[in-house]
Amino acid sequence: MLGAFLYLTACSVKNRTARRVRLLRKPRYAAGLVVGLLYMWFAFLRRAGGRAAADADAAQAALEAVAGPLQFAGSLLLLAAAAAAWVWPGAGQAFAFSRAEVQFLFPAPVTRRQLVHYELLRSQLAILFGSAIATLFMRGGARAGSWAFLSGLWVLLMVVRLHLAGVALRRTSLVQHGASGWARHWLPLAAVAGALAVFGAGIAGRWPALAGAATGGEVFRELQRLGSEGATGILLWPFRALVRLPLSASAADFWRALPPALAILAANYVWVLRSDAAFEEASAAHAEKRASDRRAPRAAVKGAAPTPFTLAAAGPPETAVLWKNLILVGRYASIRTLVRLVPIVLVLGIVAQGGGGGIAATAATACLAFAAFAVLMGTQMVRNDLRQDLPHLALLKTWPLRGAALLRGEALGPVVVITAVTWLLLLGAAILGGAPGEGAGAAATFARHRYSYLAAAAALAPSLILAQSVVQNALAVLFPAWVAGTGPRARGIDAMGQRLLVMAGMLVILLLSVLPGAVVAALVAAAAYRLTGAVPIVVPALVVSAVVAGECWLALEGLGRIFDRTDASAADAAG
Amino acid sequence: MIDVQRLTKTYGDLRAVDDLSFHVAPGEIVGLIGPNGAGKTTTLRCMVGIQAPSAGTITIGGHDIVASPVEAKRLLAFMADEPPLFDYLTVMEHLRLTARLYRVRDAEARARALLAELQLTGKEHALPAELSRGMKQKAAIACGLLHDPAALLFDEPLTGLDPLGIRHMKETIRARGRAGAAVIVSSHLLHLVEEICTRIVIIDRGAKVADATLDELRARPELAAAGSSLEQIFITATAGEA
Repeated sequence: MLGAFLYLTACSVKNRTARRVRLLRKPRYAAGLVVGLLYMWFAFLRRAGGRAAADADAAQAALEAVAGPLQFAGSLLLLAAAAAAWVWPGAGQAFAFSRAEVQFLFPAPVTRRQLVHYELLRSQLAILFGSAIATLFMRGGARAGSWAFLSGLWVLLMVVRLHLAGVALRRTSLVQHGASGWARHWLPLAAVAGALAVFGAGIAGRWPALAGAATGGEVFRELQRLGSEGATGILLWPFRALVRLPLSASAADFWRALPPALAILAANYVWVLRSDAAFEEASAAHAEKRASDRRAPRAAVKGAAPTPFTLAAAGPPETAVLWKNLILVGRYASIRTLVRLVPIVLVLGIVAQGGGGGIAATAATACLAFAAFAVLMGTQMVRNDLRQDLPHLALLKTWPLRGAALLRGEALGPVVVITAVTWLLLLGAAILGGAPGEGAGAAATFARHRYSYLAAAAALAPSLILAQSVVQNALAVLFPAWVAGTGPRARGIDAMGQRLLVMAGMLVILLLSVLPGAVVAALVAAAAYRLTGAVPIVVPALVVSAVVAGECWLALEGLGRIFDRTDASAADAAG
Repeated sequence: MIDVQRLTKTYGDLRAVDDLSFHVAPGEIVGLIGPNGAGKTTTLRCMVGIQAPSAGTITIGGHDIVASPVEAKRLLAFMADEPPLFDYLTVMEHLRLTARLYRVRDAEARARALLAELQLTGKEHALPAELSRGMKQKAAIACGLLHDPAALLFDEPLTGLDPLGIRHMKETIRARGRAGAAVIVSSHLLHLVEEICTRIVIIDRGAKVADATLDELRARPELAAAGSSLEQIFITATAGEA
């Protein structure tokens, strides 16, 4: 049976690789690979070149200095992950079989143990690839050599994989055993509570030293001592044993650290094999869910909420497409998405204020930071346009619309959403921006003229967002395979290179699109100044905005013609 | 109404559709049948502008689908095998969107009538995720019928429907034919084709191997030996094993 599994895995790898190689015949994929390889070379491999020795020495010295703290932090992280896996309700699936695997392997005369082995065999590809990439990244600083880091990381990741699978199997088993099963769940919960108690007692015992520490570094060193002595030292031992392996200082250190780590690996392996949980049904359900998640854009539609506006029976088709795309935002967006961003925004605001300035000023700066982020990065996140509609490309092609009209409606989706958010934030910044005339310097100048500045920003924002939205939709028309739509995200060096190219291209196009508007705005501003002696900043902003909007209109007309000629099967094949 | 002339579609070296010509007059219901990979879906996708023909012309109501796509598509409805619904629009919102795109007058009343005809009354505000496979199919068909198209293309229209739904669907297709629409039904269900189609086009490996009424096919000397059922005729015509 192992032969059959090896055959399946080998064929899958071979065909996947062959497909990627075939794709490289297309210039865009080849360009992506070249950029990706160049990035890899500059980021990682160049260290192994001319300045390798010096770099490696420096990196090794740096690693020597942080090896102890790294081991401690790593072991704490592993402990926290293990505790979370046990305590967190509904922790993941033991094994992620695909629908095809469920279809072919589950009804086949294959034992449960063989299925587990197949899953472990298949997961080796991802674990080895992840370990190899991490080794490449650490190459200059791997203390006992790349091979030790690679093998140590492999052991660590395998233990994590097995342990999480074991926890998931245990949960499945508990469900299958009903009330008696859940009654047995007290043990892991008690173990986690015990671990917390041990840590709490350790911290209480060292409280005078911790409270007396002058710096964060001293606190960390004290905690490190706590983690290596007494009961907490014993508690952290298995986790430290695992982390120690890839961070070994020398080959001898690695061989000394290997037996305990292998023992932990073996214990987890036996535990998973001996589990009595029948995972097949849960795995099949999970495979179905994954498949439907790939077909559907996101997790799930929240429900049939009210539409953003009532679609009139007659009117331009662009409005209908925009209406459709705004409904999408309303039915997927969650207030939690915004709530998650609040801490980042606040931190940005505090940093921008240099720790002072009061709550209102901090909030105003945070609003400005968020507004800038929304304008410059918003179209990467708000994707209610053709990118989201790519799976429906065949349907869109049957609509009696010119490509340009369709694309105008599509491109406006993100513009409306991001502009609304940006204007709201700019309004917030204006309200919270401090009293006019206070103090001196940039902040005071901003406070005095903030309504002008913010009005100019508000005038400029829609066109800048529109320009980026046009680029994103152009990519969806011209290079559908580059656009991460609803399917699984493309992986590999060529995909990474493509993403880098897209980001760089986006910035260049944004600059180029603003340039003509800036020239016209400068001329208008100069004329206005000559006539009136003053130029409200909002005027050049409006001029730039109008010119950029005009450019976008022309670009969409051109793209529409290409869209009209585009064969929907090209997108299918590329994807 | 539908005129396909020397349609060819190639993918690299593969000729998915090879010099295919046929015509569908108003009121005709033409069955497009063929083995797997014969080029049926590719033909339909070329006819509605989803795929560009490599050669040949397709006109709908006199409008070339390549040269005048908007005019041609306004007369068309394509009901695909897999109902391509938007996950985040309700059934009624799909109909409203379609009405706006196809400039349908009195859309609300027509939509309600279609929902009743397709037994979707009460599902107006349901999202696709809340619908069964058959209901999704019906919702997609309701969208297709909303603008009263002059040319209808069905790709496996009975997939996912229950027996009552199948009966209603057959009647819906027949009614459109009686009302003067040119209808193409692509299906592997030969009994459906036999039952509702006025003419049959058989294609194999992208090329047309027969284009006639069922009676004409039965009368052909090379097919007469196959017997009177469409299944036998199909197998003989496509050189399959009986």
